[in-house]
Amino acid sequence: MNDAAFPSGQPGASQWIGKPVRRIEDARLLTGHGRFTDDVPLENAAHAAFLRSPHAHARIRALDVRPALAAPGVISVFTGADVAAEGLKSLPYFALHKRPDGSPMTAPPRMPLTADVARFVGDPVALVVAGTRNQARDAAELIEADWEPLPAAADLEASARSDAPQVWPAAFAPDYGNIAAYYRMGDRDAVAKALAAAKHVVRLRVVNNRVVANPLEPRALAAQYDASSERYTLWCPTQNTHTVRAQMAAVLGIGEARLRVVCTDVGGGFGARGYAYPEHAALLFAARRVGRPVRWLADRSENFLSEVHGRDSIAEAELAIDAGHRFTALRIRALGNVGAYVSNFGAAVPAMSGARAPTGVYAIPLLDHEVRILFTHTGPVDAYRGAGRPEMGYLIERLVSRAAQELGADPVALRLKNLIPAARMPYTNPAGQTYDCGDFERILRGALAAADWEGFPARKAAATRRGRLYGRGIASYIEITGSARLTEAVRLTAAPDGTVTLLSGVQPIGQGIATSFAQIVAQRLGIDPEAIRVVQGDTDIVGSGGGAGGSRGLQVGGSAALAGALALVEAGRLLAAQSLEAAVADIEYREGRFRIAGTDRSIGLFELAAAQPERRIAVEHTETVKGQTWPNGCQVVEVEVDPETGVADVVRHAAVDDFGTVINPLIAEGQVHGGIAQGLGQALMEQSVYDASGQLLTGSFMDYAMPRAELVPALSTRFDESVPTRLNPLGAKGAGEAGCHGAMPALVNAVLDALAERGVTTLDMPLTSERVWRALSTRAA
Amino acid sequence: MSQGVMVRRNVHIDLRVNGETQEASFAPYKTLLEVLREDLGLTGTKHGCELGECGACAVLVDGEPQLSCLVLAVECEGRSIETVEGMAKGAELHPLQAAFADLGAAQCGYCTPGILMTAKALLEREPSPTRDRIREAISGNLCRCTGYQQIYEAVEEAARRMKESA
Ligand code: FES
Ligand code: FES
Repeated sequence: MNDAAFPSGQPGASQWIGKPVRRIEDARLLTGHGRFTDDVPLENAAHAAFLRSPHAHARIRALDVRPALAAPGVISVFTGADVAAEGLKSLPYFALHKRPDGSPMTAPPRMPLTADVARFVGDPVALVVAGTRNQARDAAELIEADWEPLPAAADLEASARSDAPQVWPAAFAPDYGNIAAYYRMGDRDAVAKALAAAKHVVRLRVVNNRVVANPLEPRALAAQYDASSERYTLWCPTQNTHTVRAQMAAVLGIGEARLRVVCTDVGGGFGARGYAYPEHAALLFAARRVGRPVRWLADRSENFLSEVHGRDSIAEAELAIDAGHRFTALRIRALGNVGAYVSNFGAAVPAMSGARAPTGVYAIPLLDHEVRILFTHTGPVDAYRGAGRPEMGYLIERLVSRAAQELGADPVALRLKNLIPAARMPYTNPAGQTYDCGDFERILRGALAAADWEGFPARKAAATRRGRLYGRGIASYIEITGSARLTEAVRLTAAPDGTVTLLSGVQPIGQGIATSFAQIVAQRLGIDPEAIRVVQGDTDIVGSGGGAGGSRGLQVGGSAALAGALALVEAGRLLAAQSLEAAVADIEYREGRFRIAGTDRSIGLFELAAAQPERRIAVEHTETVKGQTWPNGCQVVEVEVDPETGVADVVRHAAVDDFGTVINPLIAEGQVHGGIAQGLGQALMEQSVYDASGQLLTGSFMDYAMPRAELVPALSTRFDESVPTRLNPLGAKGAGEAGCHGAMPALVNAVLDALAERGVTTLDMPLTSERVWRALSTRAA
Repeated sequence: MSQGVMVRRNVHIDLRVNGETQEASFAPYKTLLEVLREDLGLTGTKHGCELGECGACAVLVDGEPQLSCLVLAVECEGRSIETVEGMAKGAELHPLQAAFADLGAAQCGYCTPGILMTAKALLEREPSPTRDRIREAISGNLCRCTGYQQIYEAVEEAARRMKESA
């Protein structure tokens, strides 16, 4: 932590920061008193069900809703024509990139209900409102839809062809296929020269498999419209109430003040819930039209169909290496899938934060990077834990291990030779991004020690005696975190009851952020964290906020909480000076009391609050941190592969992470563990599959494999706090997504190391037993 | 005829939930999960899939973990149902809840009620389970947040504390 934030002379300077304080969230979550969207009681609520397209691409010739309207309990049925007639607008999205010719992205409309042509299986085309959920669902099945099926572009590579079925004709370009957006960075000619002149060129093609975030809480909504105040309220599981409010106000064509968005608890976000969906708007619309609150609860298959998927990219890379095994240039050509519509960050993710560090932790002077972001007739794809960064890290770490293999070099030695040395910090990479600090060699050596790298040959020999293939993999990673929104506002109020209430627009999504904030404020005020109340997740109470995403909550929101606590002390000093009849300069603050320096005359913070006419001391503060931060780390995995079955078992795992200052090690560890489990899940089993016609084949937990308890090995995680960042007063770097990032390349490198002796040189995720077994059998034959 | 009539023909039964007998009136096709959440206001028990695939809805019926999304509530007449709301005794947390808090075993908390109930049944049967037994016991409970390790550690810690205080 930075000394300026918590002066070391301050009493109790390390009382709460860095301690495994019990989470304040747990009092409700462990006792069944959490308040998730479907737990919110609503008088007289009606229930909604959606009719969704069964085709990947089909024109709606006609929708006859009369049979549904006649069904028991049905209150109303709405279609795309109804929302269009109401004047609702298309959902906004983030246009970070342009088209290949430099023109702006064409904005295909994404309406609350689709009226004319459905473009993925699950596209919502009608909404039934009825007295009960079952009535609504039964009635939705009675709607008679006359579909004209059209050819579908379900496959990412095929969608780039000049003869691909067109998802959005206005966006189609013969040379690029169904192109939504285009990104290019670096020096194409210099890289071409470097590749031509290189002693070695290592090439690799990787598929980053399509996965589903699958928060355990299914999608759910509750919407209410109050005719007398003309205000809407929307309860939804979200990472960002203020974004949902802004987007819904735009779609409804109302001022933001007319919409309240509430999210107390959410059963996981992972990137899939940082923005609004068409269903949000459809529910708000329906609630106003039927004059009753309307709620919707998706079942799991509807969740698979309608919530965004993640990853789904294909990259080809070439690495130029000189005679001394130094990397000299990197060329990347990638395709990213955005799905049928542009979800919020969807067209940005394949070349968003990840594209800022394609060279990872290595000193590679030259880069040529091109990404084509394509439409397909599949569900929208958007951010998933890491949002483009794990894809980039996976590519470079696979490439470096492949290089070691081809060069006959030791994978650690090759890495050490090419790591950016700590002495070169701050370091500007060939994408023009500056890493402010980091000691990658120290982290890598730490991970080797934690993994007992030297003990590997003995473990391999033992596994070989048992007839198993055994391998190890290593992967360093670097993240860029903090999101584009580097500002947060807080409000702190000290009350006579001995509490300090903190209002923050950072959203709690299970990451324990309220507890971390309480620790920071308690530390600065010298009081107990139990005295801190943290209020989040309600746009009527919290004025603004950037939500949770991009591992920003602690570094941006926590810095604002810290600065807000300082502002509270300053406001208190002025009031204490009046109250104690002393000069402000003579008032000092320690552990909850203001004192005239050098005397025993003092007044407590809460006593002072009680003495104010409004019986409180309140401050508002807006803090902007100096920049996005660069957490980094290294993971080492050992796997045992059964050559008979192809089953790959992760038997050892070690991670060392540099998150700068760690506020609560228990929480940070949990973030890393959860991320690793998701990374291992993607690497070993998770895959969202569409067939050639665009039907989703993995629409339940029976078809889509999620990491269960028996998959995840014992995890060893350690934090190295020796390189705090100076970009925020806490010295913290984002911890939320890192585990996922490092786990995938480390695991796949380990499996490929195990299979190397059988001649297998590459495999794509997920490394299911079938895929591994097939690779082994083909080689043996 | 149809459903419209069926829907109105509710069953009236006594359900014993967390030691208290409550009269409930609901449509006969409703699952125990739905009745707990919608008719008895006990929203601590969660739906994650409604198909028996995730364990979020686990409760104890006569001490045995059951997926309440697969059990018809009418079948539970006269049986003892335990949900997460009944674990703490007043302000005093059950040792499993306390250990979950101390060791960071809950993140978003959505899977947590189901895992707590499953672990409670395990510890009642086996006071000192090995890690493999714990893994096996909760292998039907999906958790997307934690990676499970802190859950194992918490269940082990709770077992230790329960033995000490026994
Ligand atoms: S909701 Fe019952 S098992 Fe998933
Ligand atoms: S804590 Fe979120 S699913 Fe387990």
